[in-house]
Amino acid sequence: MLSSGCASRSFRRRISSIRGSTPTTRSFEEQQKVFGGSWIIGCHESELPGAFDYRTFTHPSGTPLIIVRGEDQKVRAFYNVCPHRGNTLLYDPVGNAKRITCIFHQWSFDTKGNCVDITREQQGFQDRYCKADAGLREVRAEIGYGGFVWVNLDDNACTLKEYIGDALSMLEEYMSMPLEVFHYHKAVVNTNYKLWHDTNSEFYHDYLHYFNRVTGMMQPGYFDRKYTGYPNGHASVGSMTIKYDAYEGSKARGVGWPGLAPGGWILIDIFPAMTYNLRTSVLRMDTSIPLGPNKLLVEFRGLGLKSDTPEQRAERVRDHNTIWGPFGRNLHEDLLAVHGQGRAMQPGSEPHWIIQGREENMTIHDEGGMRHFYREWSRRMEREAFDPHGDRNVATVA
Amino acid sequence: MPTDRIAIEELVYRSCLALDAGDFKAYLALCDDGFRYTVTAHSPEIRKDMVWLDHDKAEMQLLFNNLPRHNSDHSPLARHAHVYTVETAADGKSAEVISTLQVYKTTLDGGATELFAIGRYIDTVSLESAPPRLSKRIVRLTTRQFGFGYHVPF
Repeated sequence: MLSSGCASRSFRRRISSIRGSTPTTRSFEEQQKVFGGSWIIGCHESELPGAFDYRTFTHPSGTPLIIVRGEDQKVRAFYNVCPHRGNTLLYDPVGNAKRITCIFHQWSFDTKGNCVDITREQQGFQDRYCKADAGLREVRAEIGYGGFVWVNLDDNACTLKEYIGDALSMLEEYMSMPLEVFHYHKAVVNTNYKLWHDTNSEFYHDYLHYFNRVTGMMQPGYFDRKYTGYPNGHASVGSMTIKYDAYEGSKARGVGWPGLAPGGWILIDIFPAMTYNLRTSVLRMDTSIPLGPNKLLVEFRGLGLKSDTPEQRAERVRDHNTIWGPFGRNLHEDLLAVHGQGRAMQPGSEPHWIIQGREENMTIHDEGGMRHFYREWSRRMEREAFDPHGDRNVATVA
Repeated sequence: MPTDRIAIEELVYRSCLALDAGDFKAYLALCDDGFRYTVTAHSPEIRKDMVWLDHDKAEMQLLFNNLPRHNSDHSPLARHAHVYTVETAADGKSAEVISTLQVYKTTLDGGATELFAIGRYIDTVSLESAPPRLSKRIVRLTTRQFGFGYHVPF
């Protein structure tokens, strides 16, 4: 809520000055420069089905947020921080609250961010401060591109539409109907967020997965898939059709996805750390939240159509779990691999460098998708990705 | 303690020992032909019950067969179950068995042990032949975060 009433600005600054600290780690710098001004997926609209439903979300920059559907059905986002003494307002991941009340001193807010009660307001603040000055800090929020709720902490950032540009054009026709999240889990891994995004951005690591090795890579057309880079660091990989008959245990596939060829697969990476992955009957969405230079939280969602019959939903769940579920074939392998990178690249160890030099005309084993990511990373961080510390202490290959 | 209860408890505990040992043949031998294995969890975040795995006996066999083909964490697990309730059906042919479950993981390098998961086994046990067999197992997980994960279910 951005309002002004009877507040004294100097009074507010004094309160604000108590909050700030100045972390100096590179991780914090990346969280601010890379994530701070980016549009980030906070949740899906199906996680807020009714008025006053809320979802809490810690933004990758570290800022705790409330995403709430108002009585007017509009979804808004606010800092999950009481403006009084900086306490967390909502502790649970979800809930329903007509009033958002801080447990500490019972200051209360509505779902538009207005402060509606300051306990013993007149006695304590007289006329120096009032409810109109105590609204929650609102954060820009938009719903789009499959019904996801996107947030941006930067009031001056471009619109979501401008941020995405044409990057999701390959997927938009498949996301025109209401979707619903049926799977959600988190994984915390000791690795850097860029390494997970890298794994989601290249298919050269199909060598990691037995079934991808012996089936997918053998299919005609596999090596023809092309990366396309878009402004703001996004990248897509062209569609291909997977012959699931070749996958033992995955032969009966019927539900599919409206408009998508049977066995179709489209993957789009959104800067800085989100991946749309539509494969046959399921849309998987990864959102990464860096917790430190070598600590990462990934949120995994599986989505189907809101209109699914129970039978259709069960088939989507099954398709999802076979490959991407917590006990699925591929997910553990992918996470194990980035865990291994994190383990090998511990601070103080020598091998902090990776090679992303494969050039195959931007086809499937080209590492151009991630090079495209690093061009945007370099722009935001104001230094080249091959010089991540900004000290020019770089390794070069003649 | 009734004889059935002793045999049922031993069935649950043997299933843990077999999986801990990676003796999947022994595990499946404890299951009848119509065996169904399901892993479920509730997500407060999306306000939904989730199914994370749902396999019949043949699909469990396939899962076990495929394990050597995958790149996996090889840290051994130890499943500790404790049978809480056994409710025998009126016809005496089956029983519903609820056990609490804790799963511990021990690193290969150094042998550090951590609690990996907690949950419950909700088993349907066939009593139509001796010894009893597992007809259905629902692994109801409380834990929903497993770090970089694991390929072998609980």
